[in-house]
Amino acid sequence: MSELLEVKNLSTHFTTRDGIVKAVDDVSFSLEPGKTLAVVGESGSGKSVTALSIMRLVAEPAGRIVNGQVLFKGDDVLKMNEAQVRELRGDRIAMIFQDPMTSLNPVFRVGRQIGESLILHKGMTRKEAFERAIELLDMVGIPHSRERAKDYPHQFSGGMRQRAMIAMALACDPDILIADEPTTALDVTIQAQILELMIEMQERTGAAIIMITHDLGVVADMADDVMVMYAGRQVEYGRSDDVFHRPLHPYAWGLLDSLPRHDVDEKGVLVPITGQPPSLINVPSGCAFHPRCPYAREVCRADVPALTDIMDGHLSACHFSADSGFHRSVARPAGEVA
Amino acid sequence: MTAPASVGAKSRTLWGDAWRRLRHNKLAIIGLAWIVFVVLMTASAELWVPSTFGDPLAIDTAPGASLQSPSFEHPFGTDKLGRDVFSRVVYGARISLTVGVIAVSISLLIGVLLGAISGYYGGFTDTLVMRSADVFFAFPYILFAIALIAVLGPSYRNVFIAIGILGWPSIARVFRSSILSVKENEYVDAARAMGASDLRIMFRHIMPNAVAPIIVYGTMSIGGAIITEAALSFLGMGVQPPTPSWGLMLSDAKSLMFRAPWLTIWPGFAILTTVLSFVLMGDGLRDALDVKMKD
Repeated sequence: MSELLEVKNLSTHFTTRDGIVKAVDDVSFSLEPGKTLAVVGESGSGKSVTALSIMRLVAEPAGRIVNGQVLFKGDDVLKMNEAQVRELRGDRIAMIFQDPMTSLNPVFRVGRQIGESLILHKGMTRKEAFERAIELLDMVGIPHSRERAKDYPHQFSGGMRQRAMIAMALACDPDILIADEPTTALDVTIQAQILELMIEMQERTGAAIIMITHDLGVVADMADDVMVMYAGRQVEYGRSDDVFHRPLHPYAWGLLDSLPRHDVDEKGVLVPITGQPPSLINVPSGCAFHPRCPYAREVCRADVPALTDIMDGHLSACHFSADSGFHRSVARPAGEVA
Repeated sequence: MTAPASVGAKSRTLWGDAWRRLRHNKLAIIGLAWIVFVVLMTASAELWVPSTFGDPLAIDTAPGASLQSPSFEHPFGTDKLGRDVFSRVVYGARISLTVGVIAVSISLLIGVLLGAISGYYGGFTDTLVMRSADVFFAFPYILFAIALIAVLGPSYRNVFIAIGILGWPSIARVFRSSILSVKENEYVDAARAMGASDLRIMFRHIMPNAVAPIIVYGTMSIGGAIITEAALSFLGMGVQPPTPSWGLMLSDAKSLMFRAPWLTIWPGFAILTTVLSFVLMGDGLRDALDVKMKD
């Protein structure tokens, strides 16, 4: 199948007073139409910056995409001029932000705000855009949409605002929807509703989704592919089933072990990953995970492990992933986490 | 199915809320009422003032006509040229309000534009604009105004040009800081992710959220501009005789302060109350536009 989005060797660096932060370091992945890619990792692992880089939204001049290609339908987004990128944003690639409480402009009516991208990209008049916004609000499950479209954001609850954000992102029927931790700021019950809505919207519009999250439950529910990031690098990348059933990288094991589970009769406590996420200015030598890795050996301190295809499109960046004797003791069935 | 509580309720807007809060602020309403009163008086002056109290410019050299104390015929008395003081105070309001509004508009135009550019783009542009503002702040205000007038020549028009030019640095600073805080909001990123251009983000998404402090500051500045006009005219650097200006009237009256106190009291009273009204209004607006204050 043809790739909708192909990211090759993307590196985004930030210049700070303390040195250069390699927020995204040599990341490659691809996305097929209608599929969902989950990007997981701890805070500061480079998930959000990866997403922002795809849309060229990294704050300049501090942040700079120093290397790589972002091919959207074959065209390199990084080589486009400002006007071309603007045409892409919101129209072909749309984004849902983390905090719905602050992502809506307080001075605009919700309907007006949802309609804005239609005015920008589809040349609609205000009135047409507002009518369409009402339909979109209806679609994302907001009751009394006609009256509600005239409300201001502060009159909406958190869950409704996130629904409005989704409506806004879907307005132009984009090919790719980037969701940056869309449920993190919401109540648990609302989280489930919003995820369900996103799955439903994906079926309806056929948009591909890049889901940035640190919630592995979300990944299990939605993702076709999973990319695990650590300290700005990819450590594991593959089909969701593979990553859950046969995780290859010790960091992925750690992530799965630190999840609460209720599916097996284990009296065990949660196993956290010891230590702290590394500073991105002083990334540990060799494999960035080695100070926290229980299996680390000499080679891990010395050499950066390359991301290698271990089996049939399941990639891992660990020196020992290829060893048949080096695998996780208890494999967890996918789809039963969380 | 029951409708959520807010459906059907009148949709509340920032300005609607602000007006409701302003209404409860007695001092601000007194200020507003006084401003409206002064505006109505001076705007309708042609209709009734000259016919009842005499033309503000009409010099009456008849014996006994000058320096009359207040009477029915001349409620505020007459000056040394026999002109009706009431009529001059009413017409003077026109000068003061016009100077206040136009000068502040000029300041706003320059200040908002430069402040916005400065806050939005940051970096070198920001440094350039803010350091130029600092240069303006480095001069004593009234001296700078006098120097400007000296260059431009004293006239009614040059007064508001001078005051307008001198006012921009404060406006730019206030607006810049307000832009700086607004642009960090996620909805600005969201607008960019939607494909909005810099200009659109600036004017549609940032500015409407950043204007509140400027409205407050602008309102108060009108009072300041009126004072400055009066001061400049008092010093002979502003509006020229025989045009009725409050500052000029004070200047003419200063040698007669004890013989004819009404000559200083009424223009002084007009300046005091009008300036105070603008300040009270601005103060009230500050509270009213603060979204964190919930009734």
